[in-house]
Amino acid sequence: MTREEVFNGVQDIFRDIFDEDDMVIEDKTSSDDIEDWDSLNHINLVSAIEKEFEIRFALGELMALKDVGAMIDLMIEKLK
Amino acid sequence: MNEYKFSDIEIGLEESFEVKIDASKMDKFLDISNDINPLHVDSNYAKEKGFPGRVVYGLLTSSFYSTLVGVHLPGKHCILQGIDIQFSKPVYIGDALKISGKVSYINEAYKQIEIRAFITNQNNEKVSKATIKTGVLDE
Repeated sequence: MTREEVFNGVQDIFRDIFDEDDMVIEDKTSSDDIEDWDSLNHINLVSAIEKEFEIRFALGELMALKDVGAMIDLMIEKLK
Repeated sequence: MNEYKFSDIEIGLEESFEVKIDASKMDKFLDISNDINPLHVDSNYAKEKGFPGRVVYGLLTSSFYSTLVGVHLPGKHCILQGIDIQFSKPVYIGDALKISGKVSYINEAYKQIEIRAFITNQNNEKVSKATIKTGVLDE
């Protein structure tokens, strides 16, 4: 799976979770940029990504992430 | 009341319970919600619309999803975080309902579980289904 494919899949998940069909995310997007990205939606995002990509995250891995790009990089490592 | 801890929970764990819908539950829900829609409070109106009697509030029956997670699965340590409900058949006063739930997904990092739940009536017809997300506050 290419980085672009992973990124597009994550973008679809963001659009679904935040109910915005035209939401565009970037590598540098973080919770500071999306008003509704609160703690519960963060859990919803992680759960949706785990199920869609059939991967699992540890709490420590998630706490170290600073933006979407870091999440994508971590996912790619897990998908190898 | 069950007291499942997060470490006790595995995919496929199931719980269920039964409840009878009587007129007093309808009266109490009306008092709480002030939903005076005639389909729920006027049996003649409901019959005119093709129903055999007053239709039970969908959110009254759905309140038992709260009981499912708060009392049975996981029980004491539950913190309800989200619920997505779909109604498939009407419920009437006198119906005997069975509320069932099964763990379908576990988020280990955030100690959240997802439960696929449904409610059936005395004829084993599914009247609603729900996907419930709940945290587990035990440790």
